[in-house]
Amino acid sequence: MGIKGLTKLLADNAPKAMKEQKFESYFGRKIAIDASMSIYQFLIVVGRVGTEMLTNEAGEVTSHLQGMFTRTIRLLEAGIKPVYVFDGQPPEMKKQELAKRYEKRADATGDLEEAMKTGNKEDIEKFSKRTVKVTKQHNDDCKRLLKLMGVPVIEAPSEAEAQCAALCKSGKVYAVASEDMDSLTFGAPRFLRHLMDPSSRKVPVMEFEISKILEELNLTMDQFIDLCILSGCDYCDSIRGIGGQTALKLIRQHGSIENILENINRERYQIPDDWPYQEARQLFKEPEVYTDAEQDEIKWAAPDEEGLITFLVNENGFNSDRVTKAIEKIKAAKNKSSQGRLEAFFKPVANPTVPIKRKESKCVLRSPKPATKDKMLFSLQASTSSRSRIIGNLSLPILDLGSKHSMSLSRGVCFGT
Amino acid sequence: MLELRLVQGSLLKKVLEAIKDLVNDANFDCSATGFSLQAMDSSHVALVALLLRSEGFEHYRCDRNLSMGMNLNNMSKMLKCAGNDDIITIKADDGSDTVTFMFESPTQDKIADFEMKLMDIDSEHLGIPEAEYHAIVRMPSSEFARICKDLSSIGDTVVISVTKEGVKFSTRGDIGTANIVCRQNTTVDKPEEATVIDMNEPVSLTFALRYMNSFTKATPLSNTVTISLSSELPVVVEYKIAEMGYVRFYLAPKIEEDEDDAKPQ
Repeated sequence: MGIKGLTKLLADNAPKAMKEQKFESYFGRKIAIDASMSIYQFLIVVGRVGTEMLTNEAGEVTSHLQGMFTRTIRLLEAGIKPVYVFDGQPPEMKKQELAKRYEKRADATGDLEEAMKTGNKEDIEKFSKRTVKVTKQHNDDCKRLLKLMGVPVIEAPSEAEAQCAALCKSGKVYAVASEDMDSLTFGAPRFLRHLMDPSSRKVPVMEFEISKILEELNLTMDQFIDLCILSGCDYCDSIRGIGGQTALKLIRQHGSIENILENINRERYQIPDDWPYQEARQLFKEPEVYTDAEQDEIKWAAPDEEGLITFLVNENGFNSDRVTKAIEKIKAAKNKSSQGRLEAFFKPVANPTVPIKRKESKCVLRSPKPATKDKMLFSLQASTSSRSRIIGNLSLPILDLGSKHSMSLSRGVCFGT
Repeated sequence: MLELRLVQGSLLKKVLEAIKDLVNDANFDCSATGFSLQAMDSSHVALVALLLRSEGFEHYRCDRNLSMGMNLNNMSKMLKCAGNDDIITIKADDGSDTVTFMFESPTQDKIADFEMKLMDIDSEHLGIPEAEYHAIVRMPSSEFARICKDLSSIGDTVVISVTKEGVKFSTRGDIGTANIVCRQNTTVDKPEEATVIDMNEPVSLTFALRYMNSFTKATPLSNTVTISLSSELPVVVEYKIAEMGYVRFYLAPKIEEDEDDAKPQ
C-alpha cells in the first residue's frame, strides 16, 4: 500500500520536512481523513481477538462502527473538524494491485483454516488479520453513522487520497490525515500520520509538508512523483533492484524516468516489459477528483440524537448509556469548535534568537576573551540603543547594566563568572 | 554567556506560577532589552508574552541574543526551592545544555545552586502588531479574578461587553445566567482600587472562561489588570510587573458559527 519505504527515505533525506506535533495543536483545524484506511484499521484493531470480532445480535461485525464512533468523538473533543472521504471506483490501473491483494487474502484464508485446525494461536492471529476486508456494507454503515453524528462525508469519484489532496490544495481543509503515503504523491500540501491512532498509544502526530520535502530533496513535484513511482506504488510495478535510495540517486542524477531509462544499465536492472509509468504519473498528477465547483460546501451539523440511538443501540446492540454519554460529548465539542485560533490574527515571524543549547557544534568566530576586560566593560547607555552594538559585535562581551544614570558602579558587582 | 541577577527573586517565582499551567515548554529569549518569553498553549488559542526589562535586574549580562528551552513545570519546581526573600541569579554558559538558578538568602549565609537541563523546543513565534483597541478597562486584579472564578461556576464562556455604562461580564449555563457590571469608579482612596474605562467604540466579545481563569493566576504580580478589547482582535489581559515589565495574555475570541447548523434540538 502506498509508496514503498517513503517514510524512511524522507526521514533519512529530508528530516526537516517532518515534524512531530501534539494532537491538541490541530484545535480548530479542518482535516480531510481517508475513511477507507481508517475503517480497515478499525476492523483489525477494535475488539478483535483471533477470528472473533465485535458483533451485534445478528452476528454482523460492528468493530468499524465502534472505532469510527469513538475516534471521531476524540477528534471532535479536541476541537478538530474532520471530513471523511470515501473511495469511489478504483482506477483501472489499480485493478492489478487489487487482484494481488485479493489473492493474498485468499491465501491467508486458506492458511487461517489450516491454523484453526492445528490450533496455533499466533498463526490464527496473524492470518485472521490478513483476511480482513472492508466491504461496501462497512463503508455504508460508517457513512450513515457519520451523517448522524453531523460529520461531513465526501464520496470521491475515484481514489480517496487524491480527493483529500485536492481539498487540501484548494484550502478547504488544513491538512490530510491518512496512513497512506500516497497522499504526498498526490500533492497534499500538508499530510498527517498517526492522527487516528488511539490515545493510549501516545504516538505524536507526524506532520509532513510537501513544499519542505521538495526543498530538502531538491526536487520538483514532477521529479518527486517519478521518485515515488520508482520506489514502488499501487499502480505499476517497479524496477527490480531499485529501492528508494537508488531511485533518489537516479532522479537526482538524471531528472526524470525517461532519462533514467536511457542511461541505466539494462543488464543490471530489468525493466518490466509492460511498464505503464507514464500512465501512473498521469494518475498522480491529474487524478479524477471533484473540483471546488462540483462540490457542496463542507458543513458540520449538530448530531441527530434519536437517529444515533436507533442505529447504534437498537440496530447494533451498543450500550445505551454509553451512546447517550457520547452524544453529550459531541454536543459539548460542538460548542467548543467556535473557538478561534491565534494564527487567524497574528502571523508567525522568525525569532532572531539563537538557542544556547546547540545540537551540533557549529564553528563560531570569536575574539579571544579578555578575562579581565570582562569585568571592566560597562555599558551605561539605554539598553535599547545599545542593542545594535551588541548585534554588531556578537562575541564582544558587554555588561549591560541598564540605563539608570544614578546607578553607582558598586552595584554592578560581578561575581563568579 | 548569560548572567542575570534579580534581587526580588519572588517576582520570578510568581511569573512561573502565572504561566506554567498555560504552557508546558517554552523558550526564554534573552537580549539586551531584557529577559522575555512568548509561547502559546497547546491548542494555539492563548498566548503569553512576558518581558522583564534588563534595567530591572541588579546585574544583567547577555553577550548575544540567546534562547533557552525550558520545561516550565520543572523550572517551577526549582524556583519553589527559593525563599521569598532570596536573590535569584540565572546563569548559563555558551553552548551549555543546562541553566543554573542560584538562590542567595538576604543575609548571604545560604547559597543554593540548582542546575536544570535545557530542551530543544521548536516553537513558533507570532508577530503581534501594535494596535489601537476599541476599549481598555483597568480594574483591580483581585476583582477580575473573583469575577472569572464566580462566572465559571455557572457557565463555560464569558461575554465581555464595554459600553458607556461600564463593563459587563455575563455567562449562561445549565442552571441559569449571571451578569456582573462594573462601573467606572475613580473616586477611591487608593488609585489601584479604581476601575477606569477608556472607550472609543462599544465592543462585545465572547471568551472561554477556562483560559481567563488560567490568566488570573498572575494576580499576585500586580494590583491592577488591564483588559484591552477590539472586535476583530484577540483580547489582551495585562499584568504589569512593577518597574520591570509585564505579563500579557492574548486570547482568541469565540466566533459565532456562521453556518446555519443550529438545528433545533
